[in-house]
Amino acid sequence: MTPSAPVTLDWLVLAPALVPVAGLLLVLVLDAVLPGRRGLHLAVGVVALVVAAATAVPRALAPDSSPALSLCLPGGTEGACFWRAGPLQSTLQVGVLAATLAVLLLQSDRWHPAGTDAGATHDGAVDVALLLGSATGGVAVAAASDVATWLIALELATLPVVALVALRRTRESAHGALTLMMTSLLSFAILVVGAGLWVLATGGSTLTGAAVRVAWADAATRPVLVLAVLALIAGVGFKLSAVPFHAWTPPTFTSAPLPVTALLAAASKVAALAALLIVLAPLAGLVGAQPAPHAIAFVLGALALASMLVGTVLALRAVDVVRLLAWSTIAQAGWVLLPLSALTAAGHRAAAGYVLTYAAASLVAFAAVSAVRRTTGGEPGSGRELSAYTGLARTHPHVGGPLVLALLTFAGLPPGILGLVAKVVALRPLLGAGLWPLAVAAVVGVVLGIAVYLRWVAVLLGDPAGAEAERDVHLDRGALSVLALGSALLVVATVVPHVLYGLLS
Amino acid sequence: MALITLVLLPLLGGLALVAGGRGLAAPVATRVGAALAGVTFLLAVVVAVTRPVVDRSWLPELGVRAHLGVDGIAIPLILLTALVGVLVTIHAMGEVPAGGSPATFVGSLLLVVGGALATFTARDIVLFFLAFELVLIPMWVLIRRFGDPHHPGARAEAGHRFVLYTAVGSTLMLVGILLLVSSAGSTDLGRLVEAGAALPHGRQLTIALLLVTGLAVKVPVFPLHTWLPSAHTIAPTAGSVLLAAILLKMGTYGLVRLPLALVPSGFAALAPWLAIAGVVGIVWGSLVCLVERDLKRLIAYSSVAHMGFVVLGLSTGTVAGLQAALYGNLAHGVISALLFVVVGGLKRRWGSVDLRRSWPALREIAPRRGFALILGLAAALGLPGLAGFWGEFLAVLAAWRPADVTQIPVFRTVAVIAAIGGALAAAYALRVARLLWVGDAVELADPAGVADAVEAVDPSGDGDGDSGQRGTGEGLDVEARGVEWMALSALGLATVLLGVLPWLVLGVMDPAVTALLGGAR
Repeated sequence: MTPSAPVTLDWLVLAPALVPVAGLLLVLVLDAVLPGRRGLHLAVGVVALVVAAATAVPRALAPDSSPALSLCLPGGTEGACFWRAGPLQSTLQVGVLAATLAVLLLQSDRWHPAGTDAGATHDGAVDVALLLGSATGGVAVAAASDVATWLIALELATLPVVALVALRRTRESAHGALTLMMTSLLSFAILVVGAGLWVLATGGSTLTGAAVRVAWADAATRPVLVLAVLALIAGVGFKLSAVPFHAWTPPTFTSAPLPVTALLAAASKVAALAALLIVLAPLAGLVGAQPAPHAIAFVLGALALASMLVGTVLALRAVDVVRLLAWSTIAQAGWVLLPLSALTAAGHRAAAGYVLTYAAASLVAFAAVSAVRRTTGGEPGSGRELSAYTGLARTHPHVGGPLVLALLTFAGLPPGILGLVAKVVALRPLLGAGLWPLAVAAVVGVVLGIAVYLRWVAVLLGDPAGAEAERDVHLDRGALSVLALGSALLVVATVVPHVLYGLLS
Repeated sequence: MALITLVLLPLLGGLALVAGGRGLAAPVATRVGAALAGVTFLLAVVVAVTRPVVDRSWLPELGVRAHLGVDGIAIPLILLTALVGVLVTIHAMGEVPAGGSPATFVGSLLLVVGGALATFTARDIVLFFLAFELVLIPMWVLIRRFGDPHHPGARAEAGHRFVLYTAVGSTLMLVGILLLVSSAGSTDLGRLVEAGAALPHGRQLTIALLLVTGLAVKVPVFPLHTWLPSAHTIAPTAGSVLLAAILLKMGTYGLVRLPLALVPSGFAALAPWLAIAGVVGIVWGSLVCLVERDLKRLIAYSSVAHMGFVVLGLSTGTVAGLQAALYGNLAHGVISALLFVVVGGLKRRWGSVDLRRSWPALREIAPRRGFALILGLAAALGLPGLAGFWGEFLAVLAAWRPADVTQIPVFRTVAVIAAIGGALAAAYALRVARLLWVGDAVELADPAGVADAVEAVDPSGDGDGDSGQRGTGEGLDVEARGVEWMALSALGLATVLLGVLPWLVLGVMDPAVTALLGGAR
């Protein structure tokens, strides 16, 4: 670090966020120069996301880990850098980028179930640019280490999605976009309050351990710090669809174009968890401190249980599969939050592992849903009633099979072993922290969840007679590659879970 | 190598059949399945003789290793599982129930067998849990898709009940396992024996409570047994056999391996309660059997009674009790498999096995099936010289002298009640024999039943005219032939062998049982 430079910059460390931005600009320029070249925009988007992920992978794989720092202020004390990417953060960045890539591939398909048809009316360039923008925000929030960067990155991850929902230009999607917009504004307001309290409590804008320990030790600043953290948890809770901040999820999911729903379900959730981990990471150092941060653990545990139970119970009643997946997302958000209530580093890794597993399974599920369309019977043109899937695993095993795998991964039942391992890993930190009543309560969530997903699996395995004539199953290249890659990922990580959990530690 | 192949062959073979075997015709699919099961059985024999160990890194972040091994407790169960695997796949050559492709059916059978083998060989507690869960979905598919075709609603209900009950149990068990792992700091079953026993009593009690409650669902122990009768009634013959001969064994094996071996003082505190639950199960199951009308359901309830004896033996905490439990476990597997093959075949041909109706005497129309039925019933009532005797006799004997002398009053009381409950078994076994084997159905309380009986007893009804009429059974050929007879012979032979040569198995188990209790106490 040279004293003459006001800020040190390590460009390579920033590459996971800079490459998507470059891709975004390139897409906009190309659109101006050569308008209407859908394929070209798509190619730029894919390349940008792949390159960005490739720059993040080595850091995710790095075995020993002092985090990579960039954007450091002179002076070099801890927390003087705006960007800190350890292996956990880098893995989540890869997760955001890969999930966005999958959404881009789904988006590229011209064939969508009618009634959810999105792509035809507007320009591909806008889609690609918005997706890249959202990915940039998700990557940046995972590594942000000061309140301002964190806030801006989190909003950058969210706002493009609002536009993507609205771009479908139907009455329904306008409603969905409005709901999402209002929710985002509300959560932003809460986050700003939280950020302000944080600055008040710690006397600085950095989100690192040292400042938090000092603030915690002082009885005067401690309640402010607790309030700050709770406000930040609440704000992120909106993005994560945790109960009671979940109300936007079902209407937005059902009204948005399917690929955008997949983005909300997968990439946004990974980014939201990454953001939450940034806030909670310094608190891991407080376990064992006097007094222990019980209030925060309690709130996290309560949010987790409420999401898990409300989500599964309402998913039990859903007939529209996208609505079912929306409630299931809420329930899964509970599982993501559950290990966090242990407030340990192991809990953070467990949550990250869970969210990545969930995101992979979600993308597979959405890719499969995008392939089914109803031709007759029911609401014409929609393939979203559960009954449209009767016997799909028997008539179209290449679509139904991965869907079954994804649902069983959500449920945590073999052959979806990865989902089961994720649940085991998620429960373990709780028991290590002595929170076993919480784990016992989660048993209810597991069992209700199994009922939810088996309901759909039973339909998929059912007798296809009758249903087959009424539906059209069509896989475009994009959905096909998402299905294939996603299922391959689930299977490989089942055989060698180390490939996933090794990345996180 | 043999050990890994033993576990992976049925799992991968089953998965391949389920995923890619849709086009296979029934004869091809069942032959592939039977061949795979046959090789698995040979591997099981090799493993039983050579006792190999596999220990690889699998999920280092949790300290979980792919650690497989066998000992005297697991070997009889592995052989039983592999044998039953062969029998159900051979049985499928004669009968593939409707409801899906034959490859899916055979593949699901193999997956259940593979999951059970993985459970019995796992030497790592988290791996044990994962293997324990492996059998759920294939078994659910067997019940839900291939179950009794006459009752689609009941199929869905029975399948759901099976999965949800078992999932409650196994998730509670998981919480117990993780609590144990995080308290004792290891996931290896061998190392946990010492680390678990060193835990304070309160912690042991919590862990034991979670583990015992979780596993009791699978066993099943009264009052957590209510999933079993509906699952058994609805499941196809092969599914019932797998449930009785393999799945229930996983529960008792789990009770021995986890709470009993790992948290001994916690388990000892729960033992009297477990013994009481077991004995209530014996009496309750037997009483239900005296009045139950559906024969498959009746056998399911008799399973509850038999597992009561097994649980009673386990809870004594003595070497004799543990041996009795493991032996009774094995014997129940063979006997109930035999009975389910007999009754499943009847149900498929007759459409129901409602005991209120009058059925033709099996001893006349189907002497071989009739003989198998009598053999199974005799073994089930605990006749000396047959498999069922040793487990029940030794369990009652062991309960008379429990390991903990302060618990003698409780255990002696339950031993007496268990012996009386055992006598009830004779009553219901003879009732079934009289109704089905002798064909003697005079007392019929239900007027509707009388009407049916009159219709069916009509001596001129040789069956050419009304053979399509479901429920009377007249004129239908119910004799056990071909593969069904092969399966019955093998199970019958095993019943007799286990009855007259108990030391064969007891000798294999003895060192392991002594080591288990010696290590724990």
